[in-house]
Amino acid sequence: MVDAVAKPPREPGSVKRFIERYPFLPALAIMLLLLALNGIWQPRSVSLVGITGLVKTYMALMLLAVAQTYVVYAGDIDLSAGAIVSLVNVVIVAAMAAMGDSGFSVIAAMAIGLGVGLACGLVNGVVVATFRLQAIVATFATSIFFTGLALWIMPVAGTPAPATFWRAYGGRILEIPFVFWAAAVLALILYLLARTRLALQLLAVGDDAQGAYQSGLPVTAIRMRGYALCGLFAALAAFCVTGDTASGDPLVGGKMTLFSVAAVVLGGSALAGGYGTVVGSVFGALIIGLINSLVYFVGTPSEWQNLVQGLAILVALMAGILVGRRARS
Amino acid sequence: MAKLKISGARKAYGATMALSRGDLELQAGEVHVLIGSNGSGKSTLCKIVAGSVKPDSGDVVLDGKAVTVEGPRAAKALGIGIFYQELSLAARRTVEENICLPDLSMNGPFVDRTALSERAGRYIALFEGVAGEGFAADARVDALRADQRQLVEIMKALATEAPVLIFDEPTSALDRAQVDRFFEILRRLKTEGRAMVFISHRMDEIFAIGDRVTVLRDGRTVGSSRIADTSPQEVVRMMVGEEPSLAAAAPQASVANEAKRPLALSVSALAGPGFTDVAFDVRQGEILGLGGLHGQGQSAVLRALFGAAPVTAGSVTLDGAAYRPANPRAAIRAGLAYVSGDRGRDGVIHGRTILENVTPIHFLRNGLKLASPSALRAKATPAVDALKTKFAGFSHPIGSLSGGNQQKIVIARWLIDRPGVLLLDDPTKGIDLSAKADLFALVRKLAAEGMAIVLYSSEDAELLANSDRILVFNGGRIRRSLQGAERTRFNLYEAAYEAA
Repeated sequence: MVDAVAKPPREPGSVKRFIERYPFLPALAIMLLLLALNGIWQPRSVSLVGITGLVKTYMALMLLAVAQTYVVYAGDIDLSAGAIVSLVNVVIVAAMAAMGDSGFSVIAAMAIGLGVGLACGLVNGVVVATFRLQAIVATFATSIFFTGLALWIMPVAGTPAPATFWRAYGGRILEIPFVFWAAAVLALILYLLARTRLALQLLAVGDDAQGAYQSGLPVTAIRMRGYALCGLFAALAAFCVTGDTASGDPLVGGKMTLFSVAAVVLGGSALAGGYGTVVGSVFGALIIGLINSLVYFVGTPSEWQNLVQGLAILVALMAGILVGRRARS
Repeated sequence: MAKLKISGARKAYGATMALSRGDLELQAGEVHVLIGSNGSGKSTLCKIVAGSVKPDSGDVVLDGKAVTVEGPRAAKALGIGIFYQELSLAARRTVEENICLPDLSMNGPFVDRTALSERAGRYIALFEGVAGEGFAADARVDALRADQRQLVEIMKALATEAPVLIFDEPTSALDRAQVDRFFEILRRLKTEGRAMVFISHRMDEIFAIGDRVTVLRDGRTVGSSRIADTSPQEVVRMMVGEEPSLAAAAPQASVANEAKRPLALSVSALAGPGFTDVAFDVRQGEILGLGGLHGQGQSAVLRALFGAAPVTAGSVTLDGAAYRPANPRAAIRAGLAYVSGDRGRDGVIHGRTILENVTPIHFLRNGLKLASPSALRAKATPAVDALKTKFAGFSHPIGSLSGGNQQKIVIARWLIDRPGVLLLDDPTKGIDLSAKADLFALVRKLAAEGMAIVLYSSEDAELLANSDRILVFNGGRIRRSLQGAERTRFNLYEAAYEAA
């Protein structure tokens, strides 16, 4: 009785405001649920080794989902994100092959890779923001162009990455797996980026581009910067792909594009723009990863795996939307 | 010396002349009222000053120096701030973020949240006590009421601290207390020497706060006068101009028969988003006009009756039977027809043939599943001919027609199976003069044959010439009903600007 009286009266709509402020909460809940399910079917999957493997494999998708989020913020989309991953992957593998296996060559190659990612992002920004082409079609076209470049640089998959590179990615620093360091640095960067003017401006443009223009915001430049940021993060994703696969493959990123879009939506961001969080997209990418491993752990026959994965992603999407809608009403 | 002087500003959108000769002389330390009827060019003139519309020609002189306002950014740099009538807010950002968005406080590379809250807080505090429940610095704009959003836009304009401030209908959704507070702020800014433009659709507000008034008519500045030297009647007279004060007489026969004809549509205490307490009767054969300034609830009422917008209260009787506007399908089955001026969105079925554009209502009302094109053509021909539609053949795509002829096709689709009530929502928007004449000739003929017609037009001349009776809307309510000899331009403007 005392408890019931002492409890402060629940402010109506407080859950709603909570979800509005943290739109990634449904994604977090779904992710934890999937993690638990993974643990039930395969206890080793929630061990340090299991989690390390998961993060190592899906770090690239997490980064690509983050990349996609920044353009989605502004109401745009980047269907060339995966192609940028492929292009950067073959560029850095080719560069390291040319410069030999050394720490310097790795760092130089990564600098080149970041430059290529940035350049690709700027190309997208120019065609979409400056030339005002439809984002979905224009970036589809540039994706073919970037893939073409990747195929020109490396016509067949299989050139190995130098051991320094993938050993570092799979290795440990101070007994802590490298990917966790990478995740910590990523978290810091995302935290800082969320506080920049650009993040707020991208969201304002995605909310109402006309209103943002009338407020005196440089809308074209803002959208362009969104694409540039996307290109940079796609390059980081390519580094992880290279570390994970230890080789160059001109088509490695293609199938990741729509997964990155799905991760953004799973994370609670609005595809129409103006609303979302990068953290949600990271959770979205992990949800996709956990679904894939769960499908494997429960022993789905290989010919059924795609079907079950697709259904599970659909269910996760619907669950996220339902939870969000229920909480908001 | 004038703070800001605009002369000969001109802006055309294709064939539509939005502003043909806009002049304005704004002094420091004054509230300058811009007034004019629908489409007279007030908003265009404001947007030219604010840089969001590029004029075709005209000069802007600021502090004695000729300037070109390249865009909203340039306007900001020149010290011009604006309140946009249609608002420029990011709905999913917070109040404080919106207020500071044009000019974010920075701390190195990061947004300085503390400074931002502090700065926004100063402007929020100006409206303390009148902003209403739920208004908070960290509330999202899409959670606010219409009046509260308008307050945010006001705060955003004030936060520019610009020497020239333009307010394009800032008070349309505000309540009395909020308006009073806003006027206090304007008076204080006046003593600081700011130059302000103020547009309102309430005559009492104009005379309460204005120092000078400039009148626009048909895209031209027709006069300017000190508020102290004029009167509301005088201002309305300037808006009306030299044209004959009495409207061209509408056919009086239907009015004479009014009492004998049965009621076709009866609406009582209807309310919904954008309108409240709307009540009227339309008899068979009557053309009822809805007048007033843009967006005072006329379209909202018509869309609600057609089931395309929600109704929250009230009742509707159609041909003596209760009718609930649930959705357009139900409305069409009940014998309502709706023609929107926004053909592209609400009328035309893009990329399909003319025949397909004429027949969808026929299919719905008769529950047709299959029909032979020749049978449909036979039905469609008289409907299309009634409007003197010019077209090469039924199988041509709708896009091959001019705007006026497209609208005729859209109207023709309602004529195959005659509806009881025809709702016309600004049906002549953007169509040529001869098509307008054909359209209104038909409307009158339909009325003579007994159809009840509710007409909203943003062109006052059309409304005056074609309605038997005019209901003047302001702020979502019917303010006055004009009939017979009362239907003059003067009365229409006076009622449209009447205090809410």
